[in-house]
Amino acid sequence: MTTLWDTTGTAVVQALAAERRSGGAVTSGLALTLVVVLEEKDTAEVEAAVATAAAKHPMRVIMVLRHHIEAPQPRLDAEVSIGGRHGPGESVVLRMFGRLALHAESVTLPLLAPDAPVVAWWYSETPEIIAHDPLGVFADRRITNVIRDSDPAASLQQRAVDYAPGDTDLTWTVITPWRAALASAFDTASSPAKSVVVKGNPVDPSAQLLAGWLSSRLGIYVPVERAEGKYISSVTLDFEDGRNVQMTNEGYKLLMRRPGQVDTLQPFPQRTTGDMLAEELRRLDADGPYGEALGAVSGQSGLNQRPAVRKHIWHDPALAAQEG
Amino acid sequence: MTDVRDETTGSGDGADSERQFGGSADADMQSQQGDIVTLSEGPPHAISAGSGPKLPPMLRSNPLRDPGDRRLPRVPEPCALVVFGVTGDLARKKLLPAIYDLANRGLLPADFVLLGFARRDWGDGDFEALAKKAAKQYARTDWSEEVWSRLSGDIKFVAGSFDDDAAFDELAATLDELRNSHGIKGNAAFYLSIPPKLFPTVLKQMERTKMADNSASGGWRRVVVEKPFGHDLESAKQLNALVDDVFTAQDVFRIDHYLGKETVQNLMALRFANQLFEPVWNANYVDSVQITMAEDVGIAGRAAFYDATGAARDVLQNHLLQLLALTAMEEPVEFTAEAIRTEKLKVLRAITLPVDLGRYAVRGQYDQGWLAGERVVAYRAEQDVPPDSNAESYAAVRLGIDTRRWAGVPFYVRTGKRLPRRVTEIAVLFKKAPHLPFSHTDTEELGHNQLVIRVQPDEGVTLKFGSKVPGSMMEVRDVAMDFLYGEAFTESSPEAYERLILDVMLGDATLFPRNEEVESSWRVIDPLEAFWQNHPPELYRAGEWGPKLADEMLARDGRAWRRP
Ligand SMILES: NC(=O)c1ccc[n+]([C@@H]2O[C@H](COP(=O)([O-])OP(=O)(O)OC[C@H]3O[C@@H](n4cnc5c(N)ncnc54)[C@H](OP(=O)(O)O)[C@@H]3O)[C@@H](O)[C@H]2O)c1
Repeated sequence: MTTLWDTTGTAVVQALAAERRSGGAVTSGLALTLVVVLEEKDTAEVEAAVATAAAKHPMRVIMVLRHHIEAPQPRLDAEVSIGGRHGPGESVVLRMFGRLALHAESVTLPLLAPDAPVVAWWYSETPEIIAHDPLGVFADRRITNVIRDSDPAASLQQRAVDYAPGDTDLTWTVITPWRAALASAFDTASSPAKSVVVKGNPVDPSAQLLAGWLSSRLGIYVPVERAEGKYISSVTLDFEDGRNVQMTNEGYKLLMRRPGQVDTLQPFPQRTTGDMLAEELRRLDADGPYGEALGAVSGQSGLNQRPAVRKHIWHDPALAAQEG
Repeated sequence: MTDVRDETTGSGDGADSERQFGGSADADMQSQQGDIVTLSEGPPHAISAGSGPKLPPMLRSNPLRDPGDRRLPRVPEPCALVVFGVTGDLARKKLLPAIYDLANRGLLPADFVLLGFARRDWGDGDFEALAKKAAKQYARTDWSEEVWSRLSGDIKFVAGSFDDDAAFDELAATLDELRNSHGIKGNAAFYLSIPPKLFPTVLKQMERTKMADNSASGGWRRVVVEKPFGHDLESAKQLNALVDDVFTAQDVFRIDHYLGKETVQNLMALRFANQLFEPVWNANYVDSVQITMAEDVGIAGRAAFYDATGAARDVLQNHLLQLLALTAMEEPVEFTAEAIRTEKLKVLRAITLPVDLGRYAVRGQYDQGWLAGERVVAYRAEQDVPPDSNAESYAAVRLGIDTRRWAGVPFYVRTGKRLPRRVTEIAVLFKKAPHLPFSHTDTEELGHNQLVIRVQPDEGVTLKFGSKVPGSMMEVRDVAMDFLYGEAFTESSPEAYERLILDVMLGDATLFPRNEEVESSWRVIDPLEAFWQNHPPELYRAGEWGPKLADEMLARDGRAWRRP
């Protein structure tokens, strides 16, 4: 590991090249660059997640921490390592102070792996407008995490307003096991669904996205009804031929109840953030079903028809604070 | 950029959740239909599929399964997997662990039953204990009691021997009960993990009890058979006729576990998803192809089977010829089981044996020697092998392929036991450049350009080409560019058996050889075996790369084996 205090972007690029040379052949097949935007308090969680994901996807990780943009002197500290605590891949931690924080791309761009896709992940806070962050503009895929925002439901609505194909949110990733179980239940259906109800916390973004996905696929309105629990507690399916299926989250297990048949319990793995990040990195093209689900949640249409490329919009938080 | 992305994205479970060729191809056909009026004798297949009558009572398509939704895994329909010979080596080391791994990855249907059949006086619990021990010992994925406890509720056992009518009646009755209690809908796959000589007995029992009958069961009934598929063309035909008759040909899944390996499937991606390789993949540019499957182990307790079989029947007939077929086949018109098997079959039928078998077919048998620092005994000294045995533990042959693409290109194929290391690879050696502007001494160390597909271990692809040695002189030497599969996609590859069992339950026959392929392969092996009848194998020292004759065989053509 190389640690650089008060350094320059060029020195960081050279340090990375030196680490690669001494690291030998272990680092040749990079599939992508992951740029993580986070706050200091979240480093431990992000490091754990990145290490898990890096074990599945060989990648270069660039962590960007922005500090005190009002500081008078811009300054860059960096840490370069290969095969350390951030997993088997290459990692660069960049701490930016002062106005440099608003020009993070000037340090980040030269560090991207050549001609490999770029994924940006905002862990601590989702920017209201992704185009305000230059790091979000050159990324091919953008992952947000509205559950950590102060008002996740409002944040999810804002994701729809700001959506471009290639965006996804971890509150969508969380529900893949639910969606897989529901799709299996439909494999054996003998008639179309008449009504479907999601029960749980109506303001939970995941519950909303699950209902949104079901409505977009089934063409019927699927409500989220309040029930015990912080997230999704159950889904009830009523089919036109009178059959019905009830699926209940029993914590680590999913109970499926169908009249006339033995109940089944399926394992319902509780996945870590790292597992979910790894799922996100598996496909680097736009996730159409997410766009449709988000459209259903927000009542907006044509989300997937929007242009996939954003243009950077200059935004100075210091000025914005003065004005606002 | 797109290439990197495509490759990255092809790795996941969800990636192969849907075949994607259907939609756009249909649209193309429809628009063509409009343009070319003379073709309108009957509506093309694509149109009738789109506008046919509604088919109650089953939903024709699942509205929640969207081809664009690549996060959702392919999960089979409710079904039972019936394993005959659950106490055997294969069941314990491969099948039961693979089923646990599938459960752990969430790839088993919610309604699933694993039904074991063996001649033991056991209850469900005894079988569960055996299955748990096997799964725990050999599973690829992490052990989770949670996953096991859910799976254990779905494990059943039926006791009996194969000639016992009552036991099979009970098995049939059990399947019927499970249809309702466990919602398996009459779907069942039967895995014959038993010695091949027992196949007829078991198949006849299934025929008698109508267990193999799709319509009587109200679902699908499939059978999985393991190699060896016969011991020559005649016996293979008999076996094929029997299984295809009891089941229907499309419900028979023949396991060649090599086809379940990621790199073998990657061979098709490499050839047909890229522009780079196909133009040079022919006799104009390819000098020769070498396919090697080497093992360092001996026959390890399988003397009775091996001594009657030999390397050519055990490995060449199936694994090596399948690898050859995938390497040499034309591009399938679509990525479906039928299209791929059709192309493989064409190549297998075009294989020719050398006229002079004495010079271009070599069989060998290992003598005592040293391997990996240990003394090992000769084949004839292995336990239960007759001291005058003439079975071969090594076979190498030069094959030709009579097609326009491959005319004149030799395919050197070899397999052996007690070779220096365990390795399977396909090496495509390209012709030398027709003219070299450098002086002879500059390029002395330049060999053939090579593309090597490493099937195992270190799955990946190597490209060998000439490069200038740094310095003031022009000196060209071979360098290797390596693509390590496990490095670009570190998500550990599923075991071949996981993939294949899943495909059986999904009804996807892409990775399973069809009866004609098996028969065509025996057509290649039978004349070899006939010739070898009167030619005892040449001895080679354990720990060497096979007998001298094999080296001479290539030297005669001005070539040499690659050291894998
Ligand atoms: N092992 C491998 O790695 C491997 C590789 C490729 C192909 N195969 C093929 O897979 C199949 C199974 O191989 P295996 O190695 O598992 O064989 P195995 O260890 O000999 O097991 C055979 C199974 O069949 C049962 N069986 C044998 N004779 C029987 C009889 N007369 N009545 C009832 N049950 C009988 C055995 O039960 P008992 O315990 O009661 O004897 C055992 O469960 C064979 O077709 C083999 O060619 C195996």
